[in-house]
Amino acid sequence: MAWGRTILSLTVAAAIFLRWMHHHGWFVGTLVAAAAVAALAINVTRKRRFHRAINGIKREALTPNVASIAAVTASVVVLASLGIFTVLLIPLEQ
Amino acid sequence: MENLSARSGGGRTGISDRVLGGGTEPDPRFTLANERTFLAWIRTSLALLAGGVAVEAFMADLFGPGLRKTVAALLLGLALLIGGGSFFRWLNVERSMRRKQPLPLPWIAPVLAIGGGLVAAIMTVFVLVRPV
Repeated sequence: MAWGRTILSLTVAAAIFLRWMHHHGWFVGTLVAAAAVAALAINVTRKRRFHRAINGIKREALTPNVASIAAVTASVVVLASLGIFTVLLIPLEQ
Repeated sequence: MENLSARSGGGRTGISDRVLGGGTEPDPRFTLANERTFLAWIRTSLALLAGGVAVEAFMADLFGPGLRKTVAALLLGLALLIGGGSFFRWLNVERSMRRKQPLPLPWIAPVLAIGGGLVAAIMTVFVLVRPV
């Protein structure tokens, strides 16, 4: 469920970025796409992560999911960096 | 010391080995709880990101461009710090659990408190001094 809530948060962020396109133009489309792709990737791999966690609890041994955690962190860091770039360097279109 | 690969069920990759270092696998419930806490921090970061964008996109009639840019950049910078910091918090907690050491204090908590307080203070001053 925690991953599901994160998908929802990324989708909301993508929707708010969409509103921003009106002010900053096509560049913001890359932010919308990045947030949507991250949400989709989490959704596609959700079942695999769930079974991995279940098996880990059953065996009483679970390796932390480093790749997923690093990928989510990278997505958020990239989104925030592009957001700062947009606010400070891309002029308003209106 | 317990055999690591035997406890992990052969599921460990080279990346995990390099990132997590030595120690023994903790109870899987602790590992999953740490992952959920990481995701909660990531959602906090995404909320700050959405807040920064919302200030820039929706407050054009209310704020001047300088104040709007400042508040938006502050919120987005805070989102960047919290998002990046949440990975290191997760990693430090995971390493501490594997080495059976006390859990480290999260430095992102005071960063969030100070940053959130700063933005709230700016908004309060703006609301109090702006001409009606």
